[in-house]
Amino acid sequence: MTELKYIGKETPRPDGPDKAAGRAHYIHDLSRPGMLYGKVKFSEHAHARILRIDTSKAERLPGVQAVITAENTPEVRIGFIRDNFALKKGKVRQFRDEIAAVAAIDADIAAEAIDLIEVEYEALPGVFTTEEALADDAPLVHEIDPRGRPRNDNRLPLRFHHESGDLEAGRAAAKHIASGDFSTPVIQQSCMGTAGCIAEFDLNQQLTIWAKTQIPFLAQRDFNQALADMGLAGKNARVIVSALGGAFGSGLDTHAYEFISILLAHRTGKPVKIVYNRDEEFAYLSPRQSSQVSITQGCDDEGQLTFREIQVWQDNGAYTSWGATFPTVMMLPATSLYRVPNIFFDAKLVYTNNTYCQAMRGYGNPELAWALESNLDDLAEAAGIDPFELRLRNCNQPGETTPMGLKVTTCGLKECLQTVADKIAWPQKRSQGKRRGVGMASLFHVGGGGRIYRSDGTGMILKLDDFGNVNVYFGGVEMGQGMYSALSLAVAEALGVKPEKIFINPTDTGTCPWDVGTHASRGAFMACNAAIAASKKVRARIFERARALFANEAKKNLKKLHKKNPDFKAADFDVEAEARNGEFELQDGFVFLPAAPDESWLRVDLSQLLRAIHFREQGEMITAEAFYDPPNELPDWEKGYGNMSATYTWGTQGVEVEVDTETGEVKILHLVAAHDVGKVLNPQTLKGQTYGALAQGIGYALYEEVLSEQGRILNPNFRDYKIPTVAEMNFPIDLEFIETNDPEGPFGAKGIGEPGLVPTAPAIANAIYNAIGVRIHDLPITPEKILAALKNK
Amino acid sequence: MKIDLSFTLNGSPINTSVAVDRRLVDLLRDELDLTGTKIGCEEGECGACTVLVDGQAVNSCLFPAPEVDGKHVITIEGLGESDNRLSELQQAFVDQGGIQCGFCSPGMILSARALLNENPNPSQDEIREALGGNLCRCTGYVQIVDSIQTAAARENSDD
Amino acid sequence: MTHYDYHRPETVEEVLGLKRVLPAATFIAGGTDLMVRIKNRVLNPPALISLRAVTELGGIEDGEHTRIGALTTIDELCRHPLIAERYPLLAQAARRLGSRQIRNVATLGGNLCNCSPCADTATPLLVYDAQVQLQGPDGSRQVTLAEFFVGPGQTCSSPEEILSQIILPPPPADARTLFMKKGRVKMDLAIASTSVVLVLDGELCQEARLAVGSVAPVALRLPLAESVLAGQKLSSELSAEVARVATTEIAPIGDIRASADYRRQIIEVYLRRSIDQLAGIVQ
Repeated sequence: MTELKYIGKETPRPDGPDKAAGRAHYIHDLSRPGMLYGKVKFSEHAHARILRIDTSKAERLPGVQAVITAENTPEVRIGFIRDNFALKKGKVRQFRDEIAAVAAIDADIAAEAIDLIEVEYEALPGVFTTEEALADDAPLVHEIDPRGRPRNDNRLPLRFHHESGDLEAGRAAAKHIASGDFSTPVIQQSCMGTAGCIAEFDLNQQLTIWAKTQIPFLAQRDFNQALADMGLAGKNARVIVSALGGAFGSGLDTHAYEFISILLAHRTGKPVKIVYNRDEEFAYLSPRQSSQVSITQGCDDEGQLTFREIQVWQDNGAYTSWGATFPTVMMLPATSLYRVPNIFFDAKLVYTNNTYCQAMRGYGNPELAWALESNLDDLAEAAGIDPFELRLRNCNQPGETTPMGLKVTTCGLKECLQTVADKIAWPQKRSQGKRRGVGMASLFHVGGGGRIYRSDGTGMILKLDDFGNVNVYFGGVEMGQGMYSALSLAVAEALGVKPEKIFINPTDTGTCPWDVGTHASRGAFMACNAAIAASKKVRARIFERARALFANEAKKNLKKLHKKNPDFKAADFDVEAEARNGEFELQDGFVFLPAAPDESWLRVDLSQLLRAIHFREQGEMITAEAFYDPPNELPDWEKGYGNMSATYTWGTQGVEVEVDTETGEVKILHLVAAHDVGKVLNPQTLKGQTYGALAQGIGYALYEEVLSEQGRILNPNFRDYKIPTVAEMNFPIDLEFIETNDPEGPFGAKGIGEPGLVPTAPAIANAIYNAIGVRIHDLPITPEKILAALKNK
Repeated sequence: MKIDLSFTLNGSPINTSVAVDRRLVDLLRDELDLTGTKIGCEEGECGACTVLVDGQAVNSCLFPAPEVDGKHVITIEGLGESDNRLSELQQAFVDQGGIQCGFCSPGMILSARALLNENPNPSQDEIREALGGNLCRCTGYVQIVDSIQTAAARENSDD
Repeated sequence: MTHYDYHRPETVEEVLGLKRVLPAATFIAGGTDLMVRIKNRVLNPPALISLRAVTELGGIEDGEHTRIGALTTIDELCRHPLIAERYPLLAQAARRLGSRQIRNVATLGGNLCNCSPCADTATPLLVYDAQVQLQGPDGSRQVTLAEFFVGPGQTCSSPEEILSQIILPPPPADARTLFMKKGRVKMDLAIASTSVVLVLDGELCQEARLAVGSVAPVALRLPLAESVLAGQKLSSELSAEVARVATTEIAPIGDIRASADYRRQIIEVYLRRSIDQLAGIVQ
């Protein structure tokens, strides 16, 4: 590989200055002429029949322009299996069910109008745990399925299953076995910028929607379906993405409030904005799913894993979003983290009257890692083997194909394990006494896209202008993670221009090529690969035209030089002949001949050459398009087989803790995170993303839980839903990036958006076990759980 | 009921009137179109709406608009230098990776500004203490603390 | 959205006069709690009477008794040299109250008038035997803080009265003090807090004052535990006994922040550790 000029260098992000100045425009900051403010009326029951909705008082309130319910609007079905509705009819299945909405001239009037809507309910018994939902006489959350067929239980029609090898033979071969039931709570993405959108129709009935989304093109598809449901078949939704204020998975599906804005905008003929406040964000937006995982693993006397058996139960809540496919990602570590020959994995999902859940960073992986890596330490103890040693002995290797059919191209797991052991001072700090201990946990995740849809592709358009600017159009989303930074460096590197000449345009389905969504840690991997492909095309076309045009431009340069300095002596060089060969290079915005890279007059400014290409007879503009769809497969989820990603990422985290056995407090003393990132694109943003993921991992481990009682959320605010503050993140952190230079990765890089939070919680739990000898099975690890576990020890 | 207010906003005197039941954040965002001040929780828990009133960091979501009468208010829009340039503090956030999604950044930067005004050379612990009321979900705070240390060093070297 | 009128009187007399005319109006000082309750529609006042322009309610006066104006902000308490020197517990507790943004506007009077069992300044003031001055249309009166706190959100003042001053008698000479607070994270409402004042004579505990927060309907002193400690020779056994007795004097509730058992546990541990630490007992 030639030396990299921009990739790998510490570079401030291009969106930084406007954000530092308060000039980035989030959905909250946008407004449209004539805009109305929408507000949603939510259910006051977890499960109830709606007997009557009286909107008359709200309609009479001055300033109210529309009040809608399921009764006076077309039925708009939403969701991954279309079991949800924009507005609910007949009954409510969760506290957050949307039953009416208003549009008014200001937000205060909209809120007042919502209070004036009267709803009469007949409460129904609900189900709030998977056990309750699966009981023989359980009330049904849905009496009929989306196709209108009667349902007779609360199970979802989704199955995620994998079996490989011979489980019983593996069990028989095991000399040591450890089993455990582990659970994780519902947590909230807690984006600092809350959710919202503005929907607006033009007089051709075409819709524009400014949305806070990670999936503009799948959202376009969903919104277009809604338009069809509204009798506007063939009309289009143009989705424009404003600055996001964080997403972390919350934007991975379309939301009822978006469809409600569309309905209100169509009803009123005016733009309608709905923005959630913090209470609404907590209570009415889909959080991360809870999970219950039963796991058994066994190994022989040498510590070789012989089998792994995992059963997952998932409380899906009342409706089904993309988040219901969490087990697809659980299956990755379940089948492929460490070498295990005999595997059983099964996940079942059930409807309950709890809030329905959605995606969050890591998407099933932190939940499974919590069980797997905690249980692995239990197994190590049962086998009398050091947990680090046990992991090393079962470490994955480059070149292997895992039982799920995942093709491991590069694998830095061994280096990650060793780095963590070294940096955390493993043998010395292990079982050191004084209620201090160390623990580690690893992760395995997709790093080269993740095919969970028919296309895993991303498009890229590079449009060059007369000034040598490169306008970039792509369909992925900058949500804070640093996509613009990675992409601008990749284009600069691959094309040969300076980063400041690159302009990334706002994501807009009307102008940008298709992308499946910014999720699965795929953003930078996909965008940079697409950028490389498009850059190649741009270079090829420029160089092709340069054969005929370069010499003339170089001579113009020479003439200018002579004018300035009549004594200038040009080297003896047959520029026409060299140019006809077609061998050119483009670097830092200058086109030159490799045979004479340093001769100043033979370095033609890209803008000059672009103008020469443009301003002539039969001139042309240079624009190139590429569509990168990675070499991966859509797995068969019922068989649990298929190479979902083009490459995979690995990592290990080690933690030293001190536990106060009287107060139950856990103090983190030191954290080491070693990740196989393929190649560092921009150290600054990579570090930032990893630090941030660690903070989320620590929140998941120690503090965060959406509490609910009979489906009602009890802590819909930051006062009682605690995310880490700067005070909690006060300990030394070592980040170690292992570069394995993946052949499919752009410049060798793998996706790294999610991994940082995956193994944090089990690493902490393992350290706690090492410190005080108690195993916590349920996140978050609160002081009270520690004290209870110590009492039962 | 409206009230007439005279105060100094980002260095310039301003006369305006506002409904008495508005908060400072409403006055800034809705009446004066200064949307750099963000609304994150409206309960004083997240700090996204932090502005300076008479040099002190306050949550503008908890600050009744009538109380700014006669005061000096600084918002994120008032920190930059002339000629459309960032202040040294803002630039340090850009340079050190203190910004990701950017939603907490205006409030975070104003809390840092208040700190550096009263303590030009803060320790790590003092920085952490000053930022306790500003939540960030993206960064894990590490590069934010770095940014403020960098800003302090640069500002001190200018003197 | 609640709509309200807003008044900014400049003297106590004007305040009381306005309240007479607008009996349903609510007083607002720093507003850091009140504005949240209004937003959450827990409160729906037709009018707010702001105390912020009433300069006579501010300031800290030195004297035999220290008089702290009710409008003194929490941040002023953190920084005031007199408070740091004479009433260090109050400064310690003030530093643990909320964020800097909150401390810059929240007032001592507001913290007490909310009468929350978790008010951070309550336990230090209780151990300093603070009195509060209430001013009403019929003049002013002085009550002890223990009398002032009636129940959660409920004080002994009448609706026409305002809290004007907090009066602190001289602290015990050579007292050792320690404030401890447990939250789920560092910046949090207390799920339990303790204030301890000890006056030692060698190994003898001459005087002990203990107060706890968040473990009863109001913040309170622990007379029984104090009596077990006072006049005794300090030892780790005695600290443990005092802490155990303290748990019999409290009535914590369980809620989403912590269970009753956990609050009791923290009180026991924090009191024992505080006494040990102040007495120099090494565990």
